[in-house]
Amino acid sequence: MSVAQQEAGTMTSAQTAKRGRSRGWDFGALLLTLVTVVFAVLWAFPIYWALVTTLKPESQVIGKSLDFLPRTWTFDAYWHVLVNTQIGRWYLNSLVTSVAVTVLTLAISAATAYALSQLRFPGRKLIYYTILASFMVPIAALIVNHFILMAQFGLINNWLGVIFPQLIHPVVIIVYKNFFDSVPKEFREAAKMDSASEWRIFTRIYLPMNWGITTALAIVTFIGAWNNFLWPFLAVSRPEMMNVAVGITQVNDAFGVAYARELAGAILAALLVAVLYLIFQRRVTQAIMLSAGIKG
Amino acid sequence: MSDIVLKEVSKSFGTVSILEKVSMHIKSGEFIVFLGPSGCGKSTLLRMIAGLEQVNDGEIYIGGERVDQLPPNERGVAMVFQNYALYPHMSVRDNMSFGLQNVGTPKDEITRRVDDAARMLEITQLLERKPAQLSGGQRQRVAIGRAIVRDPKAFLLDEPLSNLDAGLRVRTRLELAQLHNRIKATMIFVTHDQTEAMTLATRIVVMNNRGIEQIGTPMEVYSRPATRFVASFVGSPAMNFLPVSALSDAGGQANVAFGGQNSLQTAIPASGLGKGQYTLGIRAESARITYGEGGIEATVDVVERLGERTLVYARLSDGAPIVAEDAGLSGVNAGDVVRIALDGKAAILFDESGRAFHAAA
Repeated sequence: MSVAQQEAGTMTSAQTAKRGRSRGWDFGALLLTLVTVVFAVLWAFPIYWALVTTLKPESQVIGKSLDFLPRTWTFDAYWHVLVNTQIGRWYLNSLVTSVAVTVLTLAISAATAYALSQLRFPGRKLIYYTILASFMVPIAALIVNHFILMAQFGLINNWLGVIFPQLIHPVVIIVYKNFFDSVPKEFREAAKMDSASEWRIFTRIYLPMNWGITTALAIVTFIGAWNNFLWPFLAVSRPEMMNVAVGITQVNDAFGVAYARELAGAILAALLVAVLYLIFQRRVTQAIMLSAGIKG
Repeated sequence: MSDIVLKEVSKSFGTVSILEKVSMHIKSGEFIVFLGPSGCGKSTLLRMIAGLEQVNDGEIYIGGERVDQLPPNERGVAMVFQNYALYPHMSVRDNMSFGLQNVGTPKDEITRRVDDAARMLEITQLLERKPAQLSGGQRQRVAIGRAIVRDPKAFLLDEPLSNLDAGLRVRTRLELAQLHNRIKATMIFVTHDQTEAMTLATRIVVMNNRGIEQIGTPMEVYSRPATRFVASFVGSPAMNFLPVSALSDAGGQANVAFGGQNSLQTAIPASGLGKGQYTLGIRAESARITYGEGGIEATVDVVERLGERTLVYARLSDGAPIVAEDAGLSGVNAGDVVRIALDGKAAILFDESGRAFHAAA
């Protein structure tokens, strides 16, 4: 047998073996897939259950039987939430405060990061390390201070009172700074030669060059502000000033908790964020990786 | 007038000295090339003229005005960076307009200047494209265009050809020379490539070891190097350096003994030479393979056939290496014993400090 024939023979048997493997059962992979499916079902079931519950009449919800599908399909819960509550107003409050938090957080953080990254001034490192150190203080630990401060400013039950304490996002500053640090210094030098002021360099060169990270950070900041419950719950007591996350706690009546209605409110509250997430899935993942220190 | 004058300019980073008391006078309209090995301080010197690096000591004048304390944009110079530094999110037109917009130039004037520069550089069809859509050569032209529209007193070019492939580099080099002829602006060009320096420069500033080794026209630097460093850095192949064993006065000119029993009558005045160890320097084109009588004997190591000429790498009887030239159709092969005729008139002597002694001009 020639060398060429031997090689051909070897290749053929290798291909056959590969084909055999792909036809046979890989029990390890199968088991892994099954475990994954089980976890996926466990994760998705509460969402499914909530959705199904909103489509049942309240009598069936509190009934003893376990119904995976409604026996009677109804949109009463949604109708009640949309007609008998101030959900429109809560949506507006959420939208205004979340957009304001997003815009202000990004503007303040980007400007701070630019200064820390590109300007040389005394105390620069101290400020940066202070921002880093602020990670060690959970926002919840400051909530009483925030409340007292906002109350002294007369900003309780006020959009500004909801917005201001939510502007503290050291991670956004750090992510921006890392990106500004990685811009080659020649761009800044070229802009200096081109007579650009610091403001022009920041707004016309550095921000547009990092537009991708700005959109990613904007999306996660917006979602965070929209879903925020604790601070808006403390800062607002008047129903017409509540955001949607706080407002759904008001979806009850004189007879106590109405599960279908409460869950309908929760689903309506989460709807915008869910849609946003589906549209900007990649950007959200990128932003989460960035804030975890993984540069994508 | 846009003369650039440097008076005893020094620069250090912390305790590390980069440049020490560098002085020079660049005349208006000159094409000056800073040539030197990596780390010699040539880019730092350019950046000091641009205002991107602070001067520790000394003075810089541009067009008669002292500028070393002024910010970059007030010095009236434009810079082309090694990586071009074109703003990636802006179109070519916006890149070229940006500097003029910053100083409040009227829109009509910006459009006119950008269009004029684009026509001159033949990039009109690229004006609406983004830098990512351009080739290396086109980006280079845009970077030059961005400098031209500002109508600066001087152009500072920091190794602008180093990112181009070999063919494009030659073409762009020629275009740069043509551009200089057309606009007659003062240009300072930094490179470590001696071919770029020789082909582009009105004068070359050879730099090494924190200072200037020599300032001269390309042929001065090549034929009459001031130091051994310049002689070794400029020219390809590098100059031959042969240790001199004895030096004598023959009719007022130096006669050198080297490489065993060899000697060479030079045209270097013997009167200027003192005692000490000397090295004979001679370029390959002045060391030619001879097929007749005379010359010095050498054994060939390697033959490089370059087409129009042949470079013969050989060893003298004492083992000293020498590169000689032969015709393009040379019959010399490795291992051959050849004879090399040295042109004594082109010989240079270097003393122990590296200072050169030439034949009278």
